[in-house]
Amino acid sequence: MSRRYDSRTTIFSPEGRLYQVEYALEAISHAGTAIGILSTDGIVLAAERKVTSKLLEQDTSAEKLYILNDNMICAVAGMTADANILINYARQAAQRYLLTYNEDIPCEQLVRRLCDLKQGYTQHGGLRPFGVSFIYAGYDPHRQFQLYQSNPSGNYGGWKATSVGANNASAQSLLKQDYKEECDLKEACGLAVKVLSKTMDSTKLSSEKIEFATVGKTKDGKVYHHLWGADEITTLLQEHGLAKQEEADTG
Amino acid sequence: MRGATILKASDDKTKQLNKHTLMAFSGEAGDTVQFAEYIQANIQLYSMRNDTDLGPSAVANFVRGELARSLRSRHPYTVNLLLGGLDPITKQPHLYWLDYLASLAPLPYAAHGYAQYYCLSILDKHHHPEINFEQGMKILRMCTDELQRRLPIDFKGMLVKVIDKDGIREIDYDSSKQVLSA
Amino acid sequence: MDSLVATYSRPAFENEGYSSDEQQELVQAMPSLSLSFSLPPMRNPSAFLRALTDDHANPQCPIKLAHGTTTLAFRFQGGIIVATDSRASAGNWIASQTVKKVIEINNCLLGTMAGGAADCQYWLAYLGIQCRLHELRHKRRISVAAASKILSNLVYSYKGMGLSMGTMCAGVTPQEGPALYYIDSEGTRLAGNLFCVGSGQTFAYGVLDAEYHYNLTEKEALELGSRSILAATHRDAFSGGFINLYHVKEDGWVKHGFRDTNPIFWKTKLEKGEFSNVTANL
Repeated sequence: MSRRYDSRTTIFSPEGRLYQVEYALEAISHAGTAIGILSTDGIVLAAERKVTSKLLEQDTSAEKLYILNDNMICAVAGMTADANILINYARQAAQRYLLTYNEDIPCEQLVRRLCDLKQGYTQHGGLRPFGVSFIYAGYDPHRQFQLYQSNPSGNYGGWKATSVGANNASAQSLLKQDYKEECDLKEACGLAVKVLSKTMDSTKLSSEKIEFATVGKTKDGKVYHHLWGADEITTLLQEHGLAKQEEADTG
Repeated sequence: MRGATILKASDDKTKQLNKHTLMAFSGEAGDTVQFAEYIQANIQLYSMRNDTDLGPSAVANFVRGELARSLRSRHPYTVNLLLGGLDPITKQPHLYWLDYLASLAPLPYAAHGYAQYYCLSILDKHHHPEINFEQGMKILRMCTDELQRRLPIDFKGMLVKVIDKDGIREIDYDSSKQVLSA
Repeated sequence: MDSLVATYSRPAFENEGYSSDEQQELVQAMPSLSLSFSLPPMRNPSAFLRALTDDHANPQCPIKLAHGTTTLAFRFQGGIIVATDSRASAGNWIASQTVKKVIEINNCLLGTMAGGAADCQYWLAYLGIQCRLHELRHKRRISVAAASKILSNLVYSYKGMGLSMGTMCAGVTPQEGPALYYIDSEGTRLAGNLFCVGSGQTFAYGVLDAEYHYNLTEKEALELGSRSILAATHRDAFSGGFINLYHVKEDGWVKHGFRDTNPIFWKTKLEKGEFSNVTANL
């Protein structure tokens, strides 16, 4: 039945579905988990890194967390190659806005730009949709710290805490259970590693297996974003007793 | 003005761009209003699309960009602008000076044309960053008095608009009294 | 031969009187008010001169005259304040920062210098001569009205020949009180309370008009004059250097300094909070 409709993103199935979009969502649900948590003084993004081979260079680049502009970062779940195209597009859009208005693009506008592009691929003929979901963390003076999520259909929404990728349903329910309004960034980081440790296959985490990033404000009120280094992640894991035993010993 | 004829005595040479941004313009006849309306439409479009108003700084940089683009076209707009606005987030007032060559400068006080020559020295002396509205109006009176006194132009009245947290409003400004030099 | 003898020999008595020529010369010996200058030998010398010197119409003109200036003078109850800047510029070139633009015609008359520096210096010196001669002949000081009229008649006789000057004559005489005249090379001569002349005039007018009134105290008047020049040096590229300040009273003028604008500017800005546009945080 579906054979007639699923090869074209532009065509609804008789049940009113766009199969290609749903397949894309399916692809994403196999990708490493990424979660984002909003707090009063910042946002934390955390992502599971599905590294398999020892031979793979570990420390060359982040594979799931990307900087979009001076006050926005995002976490990716899905096809990294597709994500690269979209991130490049988002970075250009942000710079174009900066050039026109001499101020950073408001977070929601950047998310919407990206989603407009994604939406286009669900409608215009012969192309497959982007197989990526994003979690965006950013700050702008209009709405302060903001957390968004978007998926291949081009839908997006603002969240207090959210997750994408493998096990996102269980991650979501964990977040719902443990999320406290008015929590601060430190507590949010704690919650993030806790959720991640429960949704990931291995019980003990290590800095190779996860990526971490925060958006916050410095003491003098400047917005910063920070992709964490391995030692920072290790310290956090140790604080919450989630680090691999041998790694904790060897330091 | 057209040659030596006054076509209209009470022409409003300002355009409201959004709730708290006002743009005053002077320059080539025709260009001024065309450009101002083009800018106004674009700023309003932004407000409609994004459910939020651009701040004065963003507006000023946008206008500068449009002027710079126009300057490199076959028929550049010859328009000089003053842009005043209240930042909707910080509630701080901002003033921007733009000329037809697409220079942009944030200033505490500004003027275009001959008024610069007479008024800027007055403002240099009497303007202080902390002045309130009444003191501001007093300095404005000094400036318009000087223009009436020294410029060989018979002003057919003046238009004064105020931008504050409540938005933009026109205020009565009586400039009918003759001012003679000492 | 006879004619030669006739020329070089005279009857003895003839030396005792004046020849009719000599008499004529003596009667007319009131030195003429206009000196005569040789002019370029062409039909329209003024147009020729203007073509060479008018850098406004022709930026490539071979002779650049010094032009930019701010000078002001105003009358008040305590006499007359005369103030000037001290910059001499020729085109974009600052030729000097220490020019004395107040010309002391004599110890109770002052003239100011705007426009061509040479024209002003030369003709005001000439005016000084005429004023002194007037004093010697009539045994009393010349009135400011008369002095200014000598100058205006003189420049008028050269009208259109490229003279460039805008000057003010200030003096206090018993019959006139404080008197102030504006004279320019077009031939304009005006009596008035307050004048500013030069490229920076508008800026000086701005400050001066706003606070001027006849009953200023001496201290206020000096401060206002100085502040008006400062305003002009701040905004006019062709004015700057030092503030030259004079106070003319009935018993002569008093000089109130030749002071560098730079420290005055910063003092004014930092102590009074003026010039708020000079800042990096906007």
